[in-house]
Amino acid sequence: MAILFYVAGAVAIFATLMVLTRLNPVHGLLYLIVSLLAVAIVFFTLGAPFMAALEVIIYAGAIMVLFVFVVMLLNLGKRQVEQERAWLKPGMWVGPVILAAILIVEVIFLATRTGGAAMGAVEIGPKQVGISLFGPYLIGVELASFLLLAALVGAYHLGMGKPQKGEKEYGNRTDESRTAAGRDLVRAGADRPVGAP
Amino acid sequence: MNVTDLFTLLPLLILGGAAIVVMIVVAIHRSHILTLTLTLIGLALAFASLWWIAPEAPRQVTSLLVIDRYAIFYTGLVIAATFAVALLCYGYFERHPGNPEELYILLLLAALGSAVLVASSHFISFFLGLEILSVSLYAMNAYIRAWSLPLEAGIKYLILAASSAAFLLFGMALVYAELGTMDFAKIRELVTASPDLNRAVLLAGTALIITGFGFKLALVPFHLWTPDIYEGAPAPVTAFVATVSKGAMFALLLRYFYWSGTHHFGAVFLVFTIIAIASMIAGNILAMLQTNVKRILAYSSIAHMGYVLVAFQAGGQLAVQAVTFYLVAYFITIIGAFGVITMISDGDRDADSIEDYRGLFWRRPALAAVFTAMLLSLAGIPVTAGFVGKFYVISAGASSAIWLLVFVLIVTSVFGLYYYLRILVALYSGLAHEEAHAASGAAMVSSSSLAPALSISGGVVLAVLTILLVWVGVYPATLLNIIHSTVGLL
Repeated sequence: MAILFYVAGAVAIFATLMVLTRLNPVHGLLYLIVSLLAVAIVFFTLGAPFMAALEVIIYAGAIMVLFVFVVMLLNLGKRQVEQERAWLKPGMWVGPVILAAILIVEVIFLATRTGGAAMGAVEIGPKQVGISLFGPYLIGVELASFLLLAALVGAYHLGMGKPQKGEKEYGNRTDESRTAAGRDLVRAGADRPVGAP
Repeated sequence: MNVTDLFTLLPLLILGGAAIVVMIVVAIHRSHILTLTLTLIGLALAFASLWWIAPEAPRQVTSLLVIDRYAIFYTGLVIAATFAVALLCYGYFERHPGNPEELYILLLLAALGSAVLVASSHFISFFLGLEILSVSLYAMNAYIRAWSLPLEAGIKYLILAASSAAFLLFGMALVYAELGTMDFAKIRELVTASPDLNRAVLLAGTALIITGFGFKLALVPFHLWTPDIYEGAPAPVTAFVATVSKGAMFALLLRYFYWSGTHHFGAVFLVFTIIAIASMIAGNILAMLQTNVKRILAYSSIAHMGYVLVAFQAGGQLAVQAVTFYLVAYFITIIGAFGVITMISDGDRDADSIEDYRGLFWRRPALAAVFTAMLLSLAGIPVTAGFVGKFYVISAGASSAIWLLVFVLIVTSVFGLYYYLRILVALYSGLAHEEAHAASGAAMVSSSSLAPALSISGGVVLAVLTILLVWVGVYPATLLNIIHSTVGLL
């Protein structure tokens, strides 16, 4: 069990590093999915099968669906078909496939193995998760719902079409006047060339 | 959780309920004044409910929240500050096309997050309260979508706050892994009871938690976001970021480190000493180099958080009272200062260049007088709230004999005078100079003159704040008594 944990952990770390270093967002996304699946196996080996299932359903699943939606919402044309062909080069999917293969070997091993305790002392099932969420942590659940409400209202406002006509454009003096006006020892975004977006 | 528990959560329930009511009303009928009225009613009801629940305090509501007098006092402070900011927002956003209504929903939710922070006694409520506050602030910072500076501020805040939240979570996980509890009071029991703990893991966790605190409080070296966000965000939102977000976080800093007992670790004490000294020095010196009023206030706020840390380092009851007094004075002053900036900004841009303030006294004497009072209070000149606050902080530091910190505080305060006086000189310099300046064509891109219509709501807020400022400065006994009888019990 411990070996499975460490292998899955290593896959998760490696995949996350690849997410950070990929320049093409689609490549990064594939590694991100592998990373999430690896974290799910980490949860499973730690004795939290319910968390593992949630990780796969919500993170890996929802992110995949969102990704598909975004691709569908973009205007598809010939250029996109060619781009997709370019994306399907082996160099792009070989890495994630190898990592995913390691994970699937682990899953098969876990599914076929008989008995044996998880690494954690106890296995936490959905029932216990539910009892603690709606028992001692009830306020936490309610607060999380307010957190989502804040995100929803904010996203609604910021994503609400183009700024209206009356709203004046202003503030494209971002860099010139500010570099002139203020001298800071270190600035966030200081390495950005002047005038760059 | 029973009925009495729910009753003690009344202020939080009202804040959350008000956010939902405002949201539904906005969905049915968009009206700026109606939204503002509902927001103010919600805040006023939440504030009034504090008196109602006070007899129940202290009460532990599940393991997440503790409603004691300390939490009630800071909740009141958060609600009052949000009330003032909402009034300032009305005048400011009335001048902007586009929908101003969602801002009030976010404002109420941010106040809810802050109220959860000051009442939390558990890592889970700590983190959730912090995230409710942060997520509301992302959108509030970027609220004016047609301007690029607010959008830049929103993105910067989003990325930096998210990464600092990751540090914070990892720190909490390390502490939990070592101790097996997320309850502040239980952490203290375990830390004091069992000497065979792995101190390294515990210290690493605490260090990462300090990173989370340091980011939100804009302490050096976690301060890089501050000037850009202060400059970019709409002026009333900046007032909120500078006061409510920082004040709630400081209240939690006190509760976490005093309750969990981790403040007594030598390394933690040393780290806070270094952070306090670095914040005081870097904040004051970098503020001297700025010509943008919002950036000056940003760096000065870094220095002010360093001053409050001096009181925090002193420890004990006096420290809690000194911190609270200083924060109240700081809230009044900063909301007042950004209130003036809000009032003289118009629909085209925010009044952030020092040139916008040149000769303000001759154009708007009342506003200039208010700004003068606020700046003198920030500098710690007698007869203002800031002076009493600073005096209290120094006496707390002296009583614990942390002389190095007290010495740095006094020396850097003198530096601080310089940049506050520079704004003051601009306020009172003659109009002739301004005309000469404009004629010479040296006017910067941003210095087209501003001609806003002054709002009544903002004027009332500024008048009340100025009266409070002088009252607390001249006769601090009232506030001291309130603080003594409430937060003295942390």
